[in-house]
Amino acid sequence: MSQPAMLPQGWEARWDHQSQQYVYIDQSTGRSQWEVPTQPSYPSNGVSAPSAPPAAPAPAPSSRPGRRQYPTAQIQQMYGGSGGGAGGYDQQSQQLPLMSNYPDQQQQQQPMAPQFFTPGIQDNTPHQGYPQQAGGPQQGYPGQQPQQQPLPPQQGGWQGQPPLQQGGGMDQMANQFQQMNMGQQPPNQAYGNQKQMHSMQTVNLIGMQPDVRGLEAPPPPFLIPQNAAVTQSPHSQPDPSYQRCTITSMPTTQSLLNKSKLPLALVIAPYRSIRPSDGDMEVPVVEDSVIARCRRCRAYINPFVTFIEGGNRWKCCMCGLSNEVPQLFDWDQREGKPADRWSRKELNHAVVEFIAPTEYMVRPPQPPVYAFCIDVSQQAIQSGMVATAARTILESLDTIPNADKRTKVAIIAVSSSLHFFSLTPGATEASMLVVSDLTDVFLPKPSDILVNLDESRAALESLLGRLSDMFADSHVVGTAMGSALTAAHQLIGKYGGKIIALTASLPTIGEGALKARDDPKLLGTNKESTLLNAANSFYKSFAIECSKQQVTVDMFLFSSSYTDVASLSCLPRYTAGQTYLYPGFNASKPEDAIKFATEFGKLLAMPIGLEAVIRVRATRGIRLSAFHGNFFTRSTDLLALPTVSQDQNYVIELQLEDDLKGPFVVIQTAVLHTTCYGERRIRVITHAMPVTDSIAELYASADQVAIMTYLTNKAVEKAMSSSLEDGRNLVTNNLSTMLTVYKNQVTSAAGASAQLAVPDNLKLLPLLACGLVKHVGLREGTNMSPDLRAYAHCLLTTLPSDSLVSYIHPRFYCLHNMPAEAGTIGEHGVILPPALNLTSERLERHGLFLIEDGQQMFLWVGHEAVPRLIQDVFDLPSYAELQGGKYTLPELDNPFSQRVNAIVAKTRELRRGIYRPHLYVVKSDAEPALRSWALSLLVEDRMDKMSSYAQYLTTVKNKVNGS
Amino acid sequence: MGGEGWLFLFAVLMAAVLLFTMVFFIIMFSDLECDYINPIDLCNKLNQFVLPEMIAHAFLTLLFLLSGQWLAFILNAPLVAFNVNKIMSKNHMYDATEIFRTLSGHKKESFIKLGFYLVSFFYYLYRMILALISGTSLRWLISLWSTLTASRE
Ligand SMILES: [Zn+2]
Repeated sequence: MSQPAMLPQGWEARWDHQSQQYVYIDQSTGRSQWEVPTQPSYPSNGVSAPSAPPAAPAPAPSSRPGRRQYPTAQIQQMYGGSGGGAGGYDQQSQQLPLMSNYPDQQQQQQPMAPQFFTPGIQDNTPHQGYPQQAGGPQQGYPGQQPQQQPLPPQQGGWQGQPPLQQGGGMDQMANQFQQMNMGQQPPNQAYGNQKQMHSMQTVNLIGMQPDVRGLEAPPPPFLIPQNAAVTQSPHSQPDPSYQRCTITSMPTTQSLLNKSKLPLALVIAPYRSIRPSDGDMEVPVVEDSVIARCRRCRAYINPFVTFIEGGNRWKCCMCGLSNEVPQLFDWDQREGKPADRWSRKELNHAVVEFIAPTEYMVRPPQPPVYAFCIDVSQQAIQSGMVATAARTILESLDTIPNADKRTKVAIIAVSSSLHFFSLTPGATEASMLVVSDLTDVFLPKPSDILVNLDESRAALESLLGRLSDMFADSHVVGTAMGSALTAAHQLIGKYGGKIIALTASLPTIGEGALKARDDPKLLGTNKESTLLNAANSFYKSFAIECSKQQVTVDMFLFSSSYTDVASLSCLPRYTAGQTYLYPGFNASKPEDAIKFATEFGKLLAMPIGLEAVIRVRATRGIRLSAFHGNFFTRSTDLLALPTVSQDQNYVIELQLEDDLKGPFVVIQTAVLHTTCYGERRIRVITHAMPVTDSIAELYASADQVAIMTYLTNKAVEKAMSSSLEDGRNLVTNNLSTMLTVYKNQVTSAAGASAQLAVPDNLKLLPLLACGLVKHVGLREGTNMSPDLRAYAHCLLTTLPSDSLVSYIHPRFYCLHNMPAEAGTIGEHGVILPPALNLTSERLERHGLFLIEDGQQMFLWVGHEAVPRLIQDVFDLPSYAELQGGKYTLPELDNPFSQRVNAIVAKTRELRRGIYRPHLYVVKSDAEPALRSWALSLLVEDRMDKMSSYAQYLTTVKNKVNGS
Repeated sequence: MGGEGWLFLFAVLMAAVLLFTMVFFIIMFSDLECDYINPIDLCNKLNQFVLPEMIAHAFLTLLFLLSGQWLAFILNAPLVAFNVNKIMSKNHMYDATEIFRTLSGHKKESFIKLGFYLVSFFYYLYRMILALISGTSLRWLISLWSTLTASRE
């Protein structure tokens, strides 16, 4: 029974008990076979796509030795050297790429080869099935491996190959994750009955270039005992996009947690969107409204309870109380016959939705209500915002959630006075009612202002059609947005719902009036954080009023100058809304208009949950200590969200009040909400995680992405309450204390070291931390506009983890030289080129590159780009003709243009959320502002005073050694 | 020295009132933790008492200053400075949106203030008794007593 140590990518080995041998499963197709696979199997996402073996890389004549310590040569070969594929635009004649190959690097690097040391887990039994040193730092540098590591025979398939684009290192790593994933499948006999542990590998980071492709790897699995779940369902643990934890095993005591210095927090996005294109499963719905809950702790029944007394009672997995099984639990009400208990969805799925009976309603389900407060000041009209917004609303009238024809809409136009529109049902024209008394607004005929969408459709359409023209000659500067919001709140307060405010100018009149307070002298000082908080108390007190009445505020800001995002974003923050910023919006630019119209349209079409509350319950002994995200904390464990929008992330810090006794703990998030078609539902997300008393195991099970999400929220909180510098220090200090504990307690290396030892599963955490401290929201410097910072804070604290990772650590692709299949349609959609390290060393003078962070995309064009490339992509004769800035790529009749367009389109829809990033064309020798903006996304580089990744590592290493 | 007796009698009463205010605050905070009150109501309730409490304390301190009770003044001055600083930086009011994040700090502050008022209460009481038993005050009190009883008849 030789264990399948190294499988090609995409394969998984499972122990088959009957035949006493391994069965190999192709993960992308589900096919299984007995033979050891030799050819990798590739799932959809282009990042791990195969490529034809490249042509031998042409060594460049010039080299700049000593510039970087890490062995870039192999990576260079992997990425850049494969000029063979179609559409390569290498300038062979010129031979002067910015990056040079280091032909001898491979040999030179030998003495500096990374050291492996396996930390002291005594019972680290080889059950994981791969050699201890597998997956070390040399992943992704396949050229070194043959010398480094004796390869099991199965690997022969790729061993001898020249540096493959997704070399063996990647395979190994993916493979490793796949093997670890086996723990998630309950009938996993490969582990036997021994206590499951994560395998621990230590990686040294100094001198190594990070492998950015690891950012998309799944977190370490929850290795719970295999019989913990009552059913053998593969869905008994949630997808990490719903709920994940900074550590995937729970420490037994708070003192162990304190000693480990690891943060303990839950990262949840309970209402994340479902994208069938990503293979997302619809949330199973329990329709018979038999809701079994624990009498004491009110936990919902879930896959981790146990049935006792012959199945008549169930024991709560959180508090241990024995509860009666509801009478109709085993009864199929629709068919009127007994049903199989083990097929009940709540016992098979970690994520389920219950249809709640009337006890769960404070009042009958309210209709979805949308009140639009549209700024019609001179600035708003001139920028074309009003026209675009009105047109988008008009076009969205059919997509606004309105399943049961109850949706209500109101439109308020705001300048220095408030303009209400009476939309009498059946009328074809709207009549305008102007209120200029801004204090204590009197609402004329409220029932005609807030109207049923269907009944007043004609009047609404006519109003939206001419809204912009009605105010075309407006000369009002500034708006009374605060008063308009108060009026809208009065109008819809009875029902709750959504206020969508669109403003292109600073609200300077009426309630909550703001001043342009962005004094440039404050930037870069400790006082800068005052600019990141609300300027006056109106925005907080009004937000509380809204939350009480179940009203959410969404803010769309179209500034050409300072609009005090920090104050205005307070309303979305505490009412579970979102802020959207369109700096310098001008609808005459088609890119601006399309971006706004797309995002606004998606927001309007988004199914919303009304009157929501989130409550998190956990096994006794675990306490929730702090909450981060957009909501109002109504009590120590209850979050109030007037409406719950999709794809928002919440972080909840946990503490241990009591020692944990059991082998595993259960954490359950319940979101009670009313769907937009008037059904009260409870979405319940449950996960179980093992308990451990070993610091090593805690480190081996840490989830770098969840930790980063937690650190981001903490850093933003610190930046707002104290100073930006404190926010940055929080990140770096947290990172270094973690690594100090790891070094001293887990690897038991004493004294100063030239290495920075990091557990393999956290090896990209320093890179993410480096990206975070250089992010717009926290970056050092005196030239960041407070609006952009405040907006970045809104995103940093709400983006779901996968979007947050790329927002902190952008993706970087080389397009002129991408593998042949990149940009073509693969099995699962468009294949993306391999992601590059974020350093300008990758930029070539003749190249075409794409840098994107989910909010912006930069198409970098090198100034020596060959005319054919410019012609193929932009349909322009030469580089000189090309204009930088926001750009819409033409769709041309050549394969390269089609592939680039496909990649851009794929990138735009890569992540959950409504964002449609702008595409900027950046010329490498023009427009310094745009150029440095694009370069600022290359976080491994030095930038002004901010350190490069290598320097950042040294800083962290010194802190680790110093303490 | 009748004034001193009066002053400390007043101070004792004030300290008692402030003491009870702090007890009230602490009870309210623990109610919030036990979910007996929601943060909005809590903040609305407590914010009514924040400024009166600070003003009462500042007034008492001012009285000590004017009457030349240096020791009592010096004891109270730091708290006045602390309160003034809070008002200047505009974070003296309880903020319902942040209350759970800052709750432990608020509780700690209330407990410290409670202790401080308790100590001051006994100090004022001691000073009052001291003032009373010093001859003049005693005589003055007796005469006060006799006038009171006389007026009742
Ligand atoms: Zn229970």
